[in-house]
Amino acid sequence: MTHTRRQFIGTVGAATALIGAPSILRAQGQGTFRIGALCPVTGSGSPFGSGMQKMIIAAAEAVNAAGGAAGRKIEIVSEDTQTSPQAAVLAAKKLIDVNKVQAVLGTWSSGVSLAVVPLTNDANIILMNTSGAPALSVPPANAKGLSYRFQATNDRFGRAFAEICEKEGFKRPATMAFNNASGIGNTEGFRKAWEAKGHKVVESVVYEPSQPTYRSELQKVLAANPDVIVTGSYLADTTIIMREWYQSGEQVKWVMPGWAASPDLVKAVGPDVVEGVISVDSVSNENAPSYKAYDEAYRKATGQPGQSNVYAAMTWDMVHALALAIEAANSTDTAAINAKIREVSNPAGQQVYTYAEAKEALKKGKINFEGASSVLDFDQYGDVTPDFGVFFIEGGQLNRRYVVKI
Amino acid sequence: MFYAQLLVNGLVQGLVIGLAALSITLVFGIARFPNAATGDFMTFGAYAALSAHKATGSIAMGGLAAIIATGVISLLAYLAVFRRLAERSVVALLVASIGIAFFIRAFLGVAFGHSQQVFQVPLSRPYVFGGVRITPLDLQLAAVALAALALVFAILYLTPIGRQMRAVADNRDLARVSGIRPDRVMIALWLLAGSVAGVAGMMLGIKTIVTPEFGWEMLLPAFTAAILGGIGSPVGAVVAGLILGVVQEVSTPFVGFTYKIALAFIIMLAVLLVRPRGLFGRLEGAR
Amino acid sequence: MEAYFIAIGIIALIYVILSLGLTLQYGLTGLINFGHVGFFAIGAYTSALLALKGVPLIFSFAAAAALAGLAAWPLGLVSLRLRDDYFAIVTLGFSEVVRIVITSERWLTNGVQGIPGIPRLYEGLGGSAAQLAVLVTVLAVTLVGAWIIRRIAGSPFGRLIEAIRDNEEAVQALGKDPARFKIQVLVVGAALAGIAGAFYAHYITYIVPDQFIPLVTFYVWMAIIMGGVGRVSGAIVGTAVLMLFLEGSRFLRDIVPGVSEVDMASVRIGAVGLLLVLFIMYRPQGLMGDYTKR
Repeated sequence: MTHTRRQFIGTVGAATALIGAPSILRAQGQGTFRIGALCPVTGSGSPFGSGMQKMIIAAAEAVNAAGGAAGRKIEIVSEDTQTSPQAAVLAAKKLIDVNKVQAVLGTWSSGVSLAVVPLTNDANIILMNTSGAPALSVPPANAKGLSYRFQATNDRFGRAFAEICEKEGFKRPATMAFNNASGIGNTEGFRKAWEAKGHKVVESVVYEPSQPTYRSELQKVLAANPDVIVTGSYLADTTIIMREWYQSGEQVKWVMPGWAASPDLVKAVGPDVVEGVISVDSVSNENAPSYKAYDEAYRKATGQPGQSNVYAAMTWDMVHALALAIEAANSTDTAAINAKIREVSNPAGQQVYTYAEAKEALKKGKINFEGASSVLDFDQYGDVTPDFGVFFIEGGQLNRRYVVKI
Repeated sequence: MFYAQLLVNGLVQGLVIGLAALSITLVFGIARFPNAATGDFMTFGAYAALSAHKATGSIAMGGLAAIIATGVISLLAYLAVFRRLAERSVVALLVASIGIAFFIRAFLGVAFGHSQQVFQVPLSRPYVFGGVRITPLDLQLAAVALAALALVFAILYLTPIGRQMRAVADNRDLARVSGIRPDRVMIALWLLAGSVAGVAGMMLGIKTIVTPEFGWEMLLPAFTAAILGGIGSPVGAVVAGLILGVVQEVSTPFVGFTYKIALAFIIMLAVLLVRPRGLFGRLEGAR
Repeated sequence: MEAYFIAIGIIALIYVILSLGLTLQYGLTGLINFGHVGFFAIGAYTSALLALKGVPLIFSFAAAAALAGLAAWPLGLVSLRLRDDYFAIVTLGFSEVVRIVITSERWLTNGVQGIPGIPRLYEGLGGSAAQLAVLVTVLAVTLVGAWIIRRIAGSPFGRLIEAIRDNEEAVQALGKDPARFKIQVLVVGAALAGIAGAFYAHYITYIVPDQFIPLVTFYVWMAIIMGGVGRVSGAIVGTAVLMLFLEGSRFLRDIVPGVSEVDMASVRIGAVGLLLVLFIMYRPQGLMGDYTKR
């Protein structure tokens, strides 16, 4: 018994070493810039993560096809965050310490980004994420200014909601928020902006995830007689809420974030239920050539339209913005690259939409890269400041009626 | 009026909990261990019903699929695992049931993906009785639940195998001495417990949405109801489920939406400490 | 490269401390604690919140252990009056209630937004020196914990709690009150989990309620069942296998290309379930063997 046990432990130890080996052998290649793609391939972010990862790879291919950045090829090493801060920390450590990446792109959930940013700060490398939590904009998370956010903050969404409610003439809004940072961020952002306009929110409810019913929560909100309900919610819970609301027969309007009030919601509950719902999303730069390039790449990699994964458009842009900054700085030094990111993405300058085009234009002067997910104008916190598209669900279709600028 | 509405909400919720609790109490009473895989049996039933519904468009077919599929998987779990552990401690059975729960959940995750799925049933406006709203869907589901319960009780109290099951639950040794074959009883038990869980899962899925995790989340309320009703008492399980559903909904104005989930736990704890045999249970030791 | 292994080592040792606590409670005393993650959470949040208020880490760690242990007290009282399996369900409910309380009491815990920016151990040292220092510290605590558990197992107290596990009535017949010992064991095991939680919080630097779900408890259970219930060596070996399993799946993707598309989270849960069942059925004494008579 003891003999077999010792043998077993020995085998286990050897196996561990073997598994670790290939990574050790993968030394730092010369003439490359290595990027870590850290996306939620599994876990609650999994509807988007795999597409996000694929777009990082596809964008890198596009960049390399145009000759790379600062004379180097972009190399991608991918890891899965499992949409969990703990797994993400280990994955980030592997990317940073074992694979020696020089930037980390694609973290999606706020929890993951918040856990990873101290690591990228320590390693003095850039982090680009699509998370919503306001805490990512400021110290301690963004103390070094190395973190860039390609998604509008939840706060901004909330402000957009307030603008929309005012424009549509609503007087008695109530809020329903999913109990997590993003949901509450949305409704708190709304409340602050709404109260700053001198109005009041008549009722606020925060509801728990993964419940089979939200009837009582809905009842509480409706009891206050609102004319519109503003939500910070996700698809699953919105589905349940909409069904229960519709069957209650009460009249009220809805304003929701675009990831909840999406074509999937229409499919889940039927067009009658969501008729008139207002869906708000940051405007993808849909008419720009950059979007076309992204859409093509996305369809090729996944067979789905680019519109189905707004975060994948963001990760596509991440590689482009980073590569252009490297090219402009003509260096792989983080500080030098960091200094150039706003320079290549913000106005003024010649508007460019693809990497090849931008690389050429860089030789002649300042450029302003307009991405696929948004025009990519970063503010002082490294956050994008997109416009918001206001869509009305009519006859099962999302029709954009107008755009709100914050 | 407000409370009356909460009461109605709670009753509908309670029927689902009651069915799940019924499955638990049957197994607990006869096989003598808490089956932590009940929640994932429910999920399995929901997905089976979903697939059948998608293929045929009929809820009845969905129900049939849920009953058969979950009954089968439950029986398989017994034959492959629980039977081999019959002489072992309760812990072994409990831990094994958790293992099976995880395994089923993983299988469903791989087979169906993690994004939510919905039963495409037509939604409609509710009936209003004196200010209280009830939807036709709720009434239909209630009818299904009651029919399932009637069937289960008929089996338990009107058929020979049901009598044998109750005998084993009462006193296993005496049952064996009087010639009851434990094997057949167990097979009947696991088929029945599985089917009931499957129906509960389908009901929950129709009311809400279907994800691989949603059954596991029902486990704690279902256990609470089973304990509250008295382990081994089918009537108790259902009554307790209704009570729990109502209490959870009616209490929300007081304790808030988050804590109403904790309420189940507190009730369970109170019952175990104060009156371990629950409402209808026999004086079997919880100690 | 080493930094990555150090990271794995730290997480592994945190799990070992958790396993040691559970070994004491279940392995030696037979108490089925399905709520271990609740004590882990209490420890993590206590230390994080105190540290953010400026309390020196040595005190916040002590507080973490103390509060977690204290939380086990009422559970201990409950355990005296309940049979094994009922106790298991109650402990499961307990850990869920802990999570619900953490989620709801936003004024205290920031709820689901979580607590970012938790100060790290050895902040002053900076970089890889700090990491190594953390590893050494956790290792030291683990060794102390393991030594304590071994001493307990070999002592009269240890023999008594094993007797409680095997035949409680006999113990009572001999005039000893099992109640006191059960409570002590629960409290000590919980305190260990609390310390593990504190290390965890100060390492990951960001905690949210969602990290403290029952799955973590069952990872630890899997570790002790695979390693061998009731033995310290079992706790260590079981955790090593657990870590290999959890982290190994990452490298699997590097070696085998097609695996990245597979739903690794589901595969992982499925494997945990399968391993639990297989070990319970065919090798209940685990890899390191054990002396429990079950």
